[in-house]
Amino acid sequence: MIHITINGKVVECKDGEMLLSVIRRERIDVPTLCHHEAVEPSGACRLCTVEVTKPEWDGWCDYVTSCLYPAKDGLIVNTHAPKVNELRKSILDMYLARHPKSLKIKQLAADYGVLATSLETVVDGNNCILCTICTRICDHMGFSAISTVGRGHGKEVAPPLDMAPADCVGCLACAKNCPTDYIEYETGNGRLKIWNKEFEMVACTVCGKTTVTKEFAEHLSQQRDIPFEYFEKCDECHRKELSATMGKIANWEREVRS
Amino acid sequence: MNFRFIVKPELCIGCRSCELACSFTHAIENVRSLTRISPIDGGFKDLWVPVTCLQCDDAACIKSCLVDALKRNPVTGAVELNQEVCVNCMACVAACPFGCAILDTQHDMVVKCDLCGGDPACAHFCPTKALEWKPIEVKKKQAV
Ligand code: FES
Repeated sequence: MIHITINGKVVECKDGEMLLSVIRRERIDVPTLCHHEAVEPSGACRLCTVEVTKPEWDGWCDYVTSCLYPAKDGLIVNTHAPKVNELRKSILDMYLARHPKSLKIKQLAADYGVLATSLETVVDGNNCILCTICTRICDHMGFSAISTVGRGHGKEVAPPLDMAPADCVGCLACAKNCPTDYIEYETGNGRLKIWNKEFEMVACTVCGKTTVTKEFAEHLSQQRDIPFEYFEKCDECHRKELSATMGKIANWEREVRS
Repeated sequence: MNFRFIVKPELCIGCRSCELACSFTHAIENVRSLTRISPIDGGFKDLWVPVTCLQCDDAACIKSCLVDALKRNPVTGAVELNQEVCVNCMACVAACPFGCAILDTQHDMVVKCDLCGGDPACAHFCPTKALEWKPIEVKKKQAV
């Protein structure tokens, strides 16, 4: 265990633990757009930038992304130093130009006093902020169906060769964890469409409710050794089934007692 | 000491106190959460079965989680879902054969019983002791 100072308060943490997790544990509000606990940090959004210094640095300080900066003993961190706030402001100004419709970006920007962007806004349909949460989650779940392609201006998230990705199972984790709700998908009629690929959903054999796609269920049942029939009923019908089974036992118990 | 969560459906009167206790205990920013336990009609007259997670030994939810958001708490024995890590892929909701991992649509997150970290609120509020949280004696294995 080591000690670091965050906003004047001395806190204990593990050596080498990322600053952001210590900051979060202290319940200090530092904005992030590319951080997700399920995956490794990537330092893409730059919003978590903080000011760090040490007594022996002679007044010098550094500006680092806290999600990628390991804590070291004696470090002094300021999460809301004037320069840091300025920096976040200009970053949010740019994000606002990139994705003017995203609620989350609007909220964060408003928190930092940026109500309208000072830059030219990007045309609709090209608003991905490239936080790469989706690709990192997809990789981490073992599918790697999407990745970033191209460089510079042309960089975007897409399946290989822009074709329906063979490895995608339609789990929707990419779309559901996109901080700006940029990834689109369509559901309905027991089908799901994402990344130009169509999926069939598993319908509950009792009530017809759908939860996951057939491909996802098959993948889980094969890879994780779960009987496929578990996926064939929805959660509600499973609960009813359980209560009916338990009900029989309880009724018998009741009759024996009385 | 070891505790066990005991459910006796024959004592349940279907008053749903457990549901209230659960959803208030797990409230997020003063908004009630979806209950993880609910009495369901057991198929006989005046018979209710409080259905909640059975904390299976070989749990399908843990197996189905591709990001390791579900882990067993070694102290309480409950399977706990780490909301920060969860990616909302619905694998556990679909995989649980008892339907006890559920989607809280209001908060847009998957929830499941965590035995309140070792002191289930529902057991406190059950008026008929259909739900109990009781210490159990652990018999030491005898050397043969
Ligand atoms: S959270 Fe650190 S750079 Fe995005």
